[in-house]
Amino acid sequence: MELVRDVQAGKKPFKRAYVGIFLWFTGKAVQAAARSDEQVKREFDALPDDFAFSMGCLPNGPWMVVGKEEGAVKYLGGNPEGRHQHLRLKIKNLEAAFLILTFQESTAMATVRNRIITDGELPHALAVMRVLDIVEVYLLPRRIAKLAVKRYPRWPLKRKLFGRFAVYTRTLLGF
Amino acid sequence: MIVPDYYEFCCRVKLLAGHDALERMADVLAERGIKKPLIVTDKGVAGAGLIDIVSKALSVSLNAHLVADTVPPDSDLRVVNELAAFYRDEGCDAVIAVGGGSVMDTAKGINIIVSENAADLMAFSGVGALKRPLKPMVAVPTTAGTGSEVTQVAVIKDHERHLKMAFGSYFLLPDMAVLDSRMTLTVPPFITAMTGMDAISHAMEAYYCLQKNPLSDAHSLAALSLLYRNLPVVTETPGDREARLEMAVGACLAGIAFSNSMVGMVHNLGHATGSVCGVPHGLCMAIFLPYGLEYNMHKRGDIMGELLLPLAGEAEYRETPREQRAKKVVSLVRRMNSKLNELTGGRHARCLREVVDRDGVPMVPREVLPEIARAALLDGASVYNPEEADYDDNVMVLEAAWEGEPLDRGKVKGG
Amino acid sequence: MNPESPISFTCLVKINSGDRALENLPMELSGFDAARPLIITGKDAADRKALRTLIRAFGDSGMTFGLFDGVTDTTDLAVIDVLKRTCLEKDYDAIIALGGAEIVDAAKVLNVSLSLKVPDARKISAETPIRGRLRPLMVVLTAGATGLETSSVSRFEGMVFRSEYLAPNLVVIDPRLADMGDGKRIAESGLAALGRLVEAHISTDKNPFRDAYSFTAIRLIAENLKDAVAGHGGKKAATAVGNGVAMSGCVFSNTGAFLLHKLGQVVYDVRRIHPGLTMSMAMLDVLDLYRRRDGHDLAALFHPLAGDEEFALSRPEDRVDGALSLLRRLIADVRDAMGKDTPRNLREAGVPWYMMEDVLERLEADPDGPYLRPLAERMWGEEPSHLKKGQPT
Ligand SMILES: [Fe+2]
Repeated sequence: MELVRDVQAGKKPFKRAYVGIFLWFTGKAVQAAARSDEQVKREFDALPDDFAFSMGCLPNGPWMVVGKEEGAVKYLGGNPEGRHQHLRLKIKNLEAAFLILTFQESTAMATVRNRIITDGELPHALAVMRVLDIVEVYLLPRRIAKLAVKRYPRWPLKRKLFGRFAVYTRTLLGF
Repeated sequence: MIVPDYYEFCCRVKLLAGHDALERMADVLAERGIKKPLIVTDKGVAGAGLIDIVSKALSVSLNAHLVADTVPPDSDLRVVNELAAFYRDEGCDAVIAVGGGSVMDTAKGINIIVSENAADLMAFSGVGALKRPLKPMVAVPTTAGTGSEVTQVAVIKDHERHLKMAFGSYFLLPDMAVLDSRMTLTVPPFITAMTGMDAISHAMEAYYCLQKNPLSDAHSLAALSLLYRNLPVVTETPGDREARLEMAVGACLAGIAFSNSMVGMVHNLGHATGSVCGVPHGLCMAIFLPYGLEYNMHKRGDIMGELLLPLAGEAEYRETPREQRAKKVVSLVRRMNSKLNELTGGRHARCLREVVDRDGVPMVPREVLPEIARAALLDGASVYNPEEADYDDNVMVLEAAWEGEPLDRGKVKGG
Repeated sequence: MNPESPISFTCLVKINSGDRALENLPMELSGFDAARPLIITGKDAADRKALRTLIRAFGDSGMTFGLFDGVTDTTDLAVIDVLKRTCLEKDYDAIIALGGAEIVDAAKVLNVSLSLKVPDARKISAETPIRGRLRPLMVVLTAGATGLETSSVSRFEGMVFRSEYLAPNLVVIDPRLADMGDGKRIAESGLAALGRLVEAHISTDKNPFRDAYSFTAIRLIAENLKDAVAGHGGKKAATAVGNGVAMSGCVFSNTGAFLLHKLGQVVYDVRRIHPGLTMSMAMLDVLDLYRRRDGHDLAALFHPLAGDEEFALSRPEDRVDGALSLLRRLIADVRDAMGKDTPRNLREAGVPWYMMEDVLERLEADPDGPYLRPLAERMWGEEPSHLKKGQPT
């Protein structure tokens, strides 16, 4: 009998699908927030005209890419290949991505816990993290978002309610 | 003791310390089969006679070594390429970096090129681009403060293409860090004082910022008890060998702590003030440290209070009520700054308005504070700071630090 | 700090600890340019359970890895030689050792034979020079650890290999493996680590770098071991103990072997009793001995054992007694938590006298023999005078 046998690592189709969907959702939400939220708009305005960033999972994805095209912020799909990205947020593994995308951990907290490798220039990384924080506040009920971000913002009711509605509908309906 | 849900800790550096650590270094290099190391340094270090000491120590165990003293104050890709070519042409087999941050960065750059046979350093920039151990590298710091002998990053500037390349990898940790008291004996009091405060700020920020872990904590505490006790001694009596050695060890411990736990607002504002006004890093650290403590105290008061023990000893810790300890830590830091100010004849500034250049001209006019506050938003250290700091928060802290007034903690927006 | 003798400290081990630490392994491997690890582990139930968890953690990585799950305490260099050849044939580019000391010892020796490209692994010995970096070795700690996994030492087939390059590149402490519901194993693991840590922390060649590790580890174990053994502290307490155990190996790499360690090791060699159990029997006697010898800083134990508040309240002259009584209570509590049938001495642990003679003989051959022999005799559970007559029981 062979002393050593080869073992193939298993698959995690459910988690992979979840992470894929939520990466897509987050990408779409960033695109939506860039149209309806002043602060997100400002953050993107300050970034280079051809700015693009990706976020995804090591070693085999899934990924999402968001970038500026002709002045508008767009979700650019799930394939990070063949396009320059100023910033890559590489989550170390699928389980960590699951934690982040089920909003058990904010991107900032996940960075503190060494779960994300930020590859790119720091100012870009910080701007994107601020954007993701804002998107989290829009998408999540206050109780959960409070855990996710360091300082839950005191927004006027209008920004909160209207903004949330706008981000949601734009994310889901894609306009 | 707080064990975080998840943490990582790594310091794969052989640490040698002593009054004759350089001789020990030479032995270890010989044991490892090194035949011809290249000493990389700058003119200032060489001019101070430090390379002579290193050379002499090396020649006891090794037959050959070379010296290159052309490292500029700001790391430069051109010099990195030149020295890498020199290393190759001369058949060197290790780099010994003797100096400060720029020398260490340059040596790391050289090492990447010669180890990876790289034509373009850019291909290895970013985090995790290096995949295997590099050739041997030794770090010999000549100040007690930056901790760059135990950090896994390097920044190299391409002045022609106006690019700043950053490298991050555990493979960039030097194989050896050598802390020899002779290397810091001649550092003048003003520099000694501020680099010492840089080290103290590393230990403190590592201890109260978000990525703290049990090992970084222990390194911080050990660092603080050495640094706080010895800093006034070496500032007043530069030739005190024991105190110099303890400072070097303390600064290294602090370096290990912060490279595994990261730093926060103090460095955040410090980097910004450095880039906008050119204020030396150590001086920024000395000025901002009390404010970093005050700004975050509502979140980390208990943790900061624990720092009183290594700073002041058992009696003072015991006699200070728990809820007063963090404030006491802040007042001890301020007291240290005043003492250093006294010992350096006023050169160790206590607040931003006191910072002057060689000609006595103020370096931080009040009008630039908004610019510094904006620049600070672009700095990564903010991620690890316990409390969020936006533009307005930064301005508030900067104004207090400019005046030298304690922070009005009532104005800090709690998260 | 004693500046006249230069300080030297090395710890090549990176620590990854906590929630989902195992899942980072594929990423850590790729950091070393490795993609096909060989996993080495043992056959007992705990190892098997741990293996299932480890394999699950590789899920979605797309990796294929080799598995050798046959390490026992009789694994020898002939097996290592076969493994070595398999690794070369099948291109395994890193080793992951899952489990306690024996497994990791075998992995370290395998790594030596692979990295040094020795033609025949059966020929390597403790004299084989190890002067450079070896191939990537990662250790996944389980509750079955002895603390030597993270060290620069490997004991294999009666030989002791020592080189700083033997230490693993990474140790992973994952809550799922630190606590698998077996309090006894956690206790033994924690006590073995504690024994070596205590000896290092009071030793005459202290330095601040090593002290940072030993201070942290002693504190983690003092604060958590009892709860972890009793199953009160949940995975958090067991993980904290695992941290202390991992750090103890880093400390051990930077000290010599001292009395307690030697006692634990010799008894293990003769009778396969966990060194943690042996050390818990002898710890206080050994400390008493150190107390009477010069230069051992027993007072230094008080701070990590008692915590900041107690330490600040204590008078310096009371700290030695304080430390000893805290240690006595800690050991008693842990042994209580292990259960009523925990042996109090080696005789109860099932060491017959004829084996004890073997133990004593081996100890006598040690330079510390004159100290070790009476300690071991007391550990067996009879008055030394009675034993000296050599009455078999
Ligand atoms: Fe600094």
